[in-house]
Amino acid sequence: MTSVGDRAEAWRRRAMSLLLWLLYIFLYAPILYVIYASFSVDIVWPFPPSFTTDAYAELFDNALYADALANSLLIGLGSGAVSTLLATAGVIGVLRYPSRHRGLILIAFLAPLFVAELLIGISSLAFNARLLGLPGNLFSAIAANAVEGTAFAFLIILAQLVRYDWQMDDAAMVFGAAPVRCFWEVTLPTIWPSLLGAFLISFILAFNNLEISFYNLGAIPTLPSVAWGSLRFGLGPELFALAALTNGLVFVLFAVMYVLMRTGIVRFGYRGG
Amino acid sequence: MAGADLKTASLSLQSVSRHFGPIRAVDGIDLDIGQDEFFSLLGPSGSGKTTLLRIIAGLERPSAGRVRVAGQDVTELPPYKRRIGMVFQNFLLFPHKTVAENIVFPLRMQNVARAARDERLRWAMKLLRLEGLAARYPNELSGGQQQRVSLARGLIARPAMLLLDEPLANLDRELRAEMEVEIRRYQKELNIPFVYVTHNQEEALTMSDRIAVMRGGVFEQVGPRDDVYRRPKTEFVATFVGQSNRLSGFVETVKNGAVAFAWQGHTLHVPHQGDIAAGDKAQFLIKYEDIEVAGAAGKGRSDHRSGNSLEGRLRDIIFKGQTANYIVSLANGAELIASASSRDHKVGIGEAVSLRWPETSGMCFRS
Amino acid sequence: MKRFPPLLLLAGPGILFILVTLILPLAAIFMFSFWRTESYELYADWNLDNYRTLMREPAYLVFLLRSGLGALATSLICLIYAWPVAYFIARHGGRYRLLLVLLLAAPFFTGVILRIAALQGILGPGGLINMALGILGFQPIAALMYTQTAATIGHVYLFIPFMVTAIYLSLVNFNFDLLETAKVNGAGPLRAFIEVTWPLNWIGTAIGIVLVFIPCLASAVTPRFLGGPRATSFGMSLGQQFGETGTWALGSAMGVVLFLASLAVLALMGLTVNLKRSGFTGMGTR
Repeated sequence: MTSVGDRAEAWRRRAMSLLLWLLYIFLYAPILYVIYASFSVDIVWPFPPSFTTDAYAELFDNALYADALANSLLIGLGSGAVSTLLATAGVIGVLRYPSRHRGLILIAFLAPLFVAELLIGISSLAFNARLLGLPGNLFSAIAANAVEGTAFAFLIILAQLVRYDWQMDDAAMVFGAAPVRCFWEVTLPTIWPSLLGAFLISFILAFNNLEISFYNLGAIPTLPSVAWGSLRFGLGPELFALAALTNGLVFVLFAVMYVLMRTGIVRFGYRGG
Repeated sequence: MAGADLKTASLSLQSVSRHFGPIRAVDGIDLDIGQDEFFSLLGPSGSGKTTLLRIIAGLERPSAGRVRVAGQDVTELPPYKRRIGMVFQNFLLFPHKTVAENIVFPLRMQNVARAARDERLRWAMKLLRLEGLAARYPNELSGGQQQRVSLARGLIARPAMLLLDEPLANLDRELRAEMEVEIRRYQKELNIPFVYVTHNQEEALTMSDRIAVMRGGVFEQVGPRDDVYRRPKTEFVATFVGQSNRLSGFVETVKNGAVAFAWQGHTLHVPHQGDIAAGDKAQFLIKYEDIEVAGAAGKGRSDHRSGNSLEGRLRDIIFKGQTANYIVSLANGAELIASASSRDHKVGIGEAVSLRWPETSGMCFRS
Repeated sequence: MKRFPPLLLLAGPGILFILVTLILPLAAIFMFSFWRTESYELYADWNLDNYRTLMREPAYLVFLLRSGLGALATSLICLIYAWPVAYFIARHGGRYRLLLVLLLAAPFFTGVILRIAALQGILGPGGLINMALGILGFQPIAALMYTQTAATIGHVYLFIPFMVTAIYLSLVNFNFDLLETAKVNGAGPLRAFIEVTWPLNWIGTAIGIVLVFIPCLASAVTPRFLGGPRATSFGMSLGQQFGETGTWALGSAMGVVLFLASLAVLALMGLTVNLKRSGFTGMGTR
């Protein structure tokens, strides 16, 4: 026996989940297309299907792609590390030590969210090149990418840590843990999922960033800039192959995560029943 | 008033059950509550009392059974069509609305005209002594004030009844005692039934006309508050309500409803509940205040021939304010506690005392 | 020895970093916008010519309006679609909540250019949709090929995860029990949403709108690919000043305009937020 209200509720729920799955299809269709096209003989007119793994062979032969991948990884890891470090310290500072400047600190950390990547790219290019006289290099690219990364990391960590009970840290300190020790023993084990999330997001943003990196690197290749550069002659199938490999790795990671969640080995911060 | 007549019942539950998989949170509850009753659902956590309240509110659907409010079957009605008031444990005030906006919320949902709304608001603010707080936000109020706003919101729309889910659990002791008296006063003034869920027996006893003691999804006992307190029907009720000494022994004889109870070499004459026969293992529970402590000086006066009497030594006195608990060690090594006024204790710690109580006190259950 | 205030120690480095890598460069282009470029070199003779050019040439205004309208449309579509999705994940996602959200972010592992190229491969003339239509004997959908509509679809594709995540993060901190209170007090599902859920999650929603609107306003790659010849956006034109044409001073002025436009949107959204009425009770104040 279900009432009208219950049935309406069930319908709403079903409609919402349908919207979610449609969104996933929309988001992943191009990804699947990339994977499909990476095996195609003709990447511009991939239909009807005809398969080859040439793109993968060329990918591993061509030093340009290895270079671009290495640079992209460096920028991603560097920017992810800088972002997560700065943002974590900032969030803990803001949450633990109330101050009348709190609003100002928040605005400072979140400001990059509201400045377009293009603007960050051209302004740091102009600043570095014309005022400091520095040519584009990996460090300036890491720094410029970390601006945006820090803001995203700050937002993600803040959203999670607002609910953190700092009395746990007080307890640890009462029992003799110095602040740094307390962070390692008590705070970090509790908050690591949000730090990991923040690192991942800032890594991805920097790894695949075109506009910030492009203006800060000059001739140094990254994956997005190689893609951008090859546009004039049509996209290289090697890029599709590389993207397919990246996505394969990501899907494996997600599958592992799903299994871990399913079996309840790791809960990723979920505390419900 | 031992159970309201079905015709005048404001709330009537008929074999209401709620099963979560194999768990029977609420299991076949029948209940009628009258128009002028303050009714409490008392039980430990997990006893199903909150689920039952949520079923009455319409927030939870019963797996079986019917819910009637003022004669109308509301089982199929969603909560927002039931016209009841509810006060939640953590107040659940809308943080983005002012005190006044929170309180008039139910009236706005019923599309009551502004003038009438303002008039009701003034009434509710006065009733709950919230004058001057109308423009504040919930996070600018003290716990007690939030509780009053929550009550005002529950009462403003003249609901058919008010449901209260452990509303005092988050208040400090003093405030709780004050609110207990207040809440009962509102119920008597407004003359609508209040259904009050609590795990705190003191609250239930202070405020209620009738109490249902709940465990494992069923009622252990339903009755007027002194019945539940003085004449517990089950061992669980006797343990849960009030503070009792527990004596484990066995039944020697049963005669005319009176039990001769054998306990560590003594024979006590006690009343009983339920089926019981000679030779049964049994528990005897007697409330602290039912035992009288007397100095050994009164030993010669044996005018208590019809009652029970035990000799021992006063080990300690736990001072409680108006009353005190007297911890008495008996010769057999057991300890019994008696409660009496703290003012006139004439016995000192370490002195010999005798413990007495009439044959009608306490209750014996088969274990 | 004077003790260093811990807040400064913790938040200081981040603020300093943002000052050096964001605020100073922005100040630099503000300065350059009053300079002059001649054959790829900047000269510090102060003037307003760049702004005069921007106002005189209708093309720039057209670019800005086109980008603005596109950003508005994208934000609205994302807003309407993202709400039920975020609500579903927050309310019914259970233990898979995090996974469901990460699945929205995973496409970012593939670069923007590749995804847009793939989207073109699906929407474009030789693409999946129009080819399927052709095989079935229908006319191809012209609106999907090199139009503003195609660019908007691309923008929604790129930025809707931001909107869903922003609303989701707000909803997971929302006390759904308040909805029960509203219902007991006579509010139906729709009324409860309007009275309670929406206002209490407005800040998160507003952040989502800004996070979609601003990159859309500055977008250069997407319209270039999907938009066709008549979709030149403000961002495309701005990028050209720093690339092909090398007119950095004019580009800086465009950057300033873009920044001010973003700031105006931010301010507009800020005006709709009443902190007292947001249910915002401060953060972890102890």
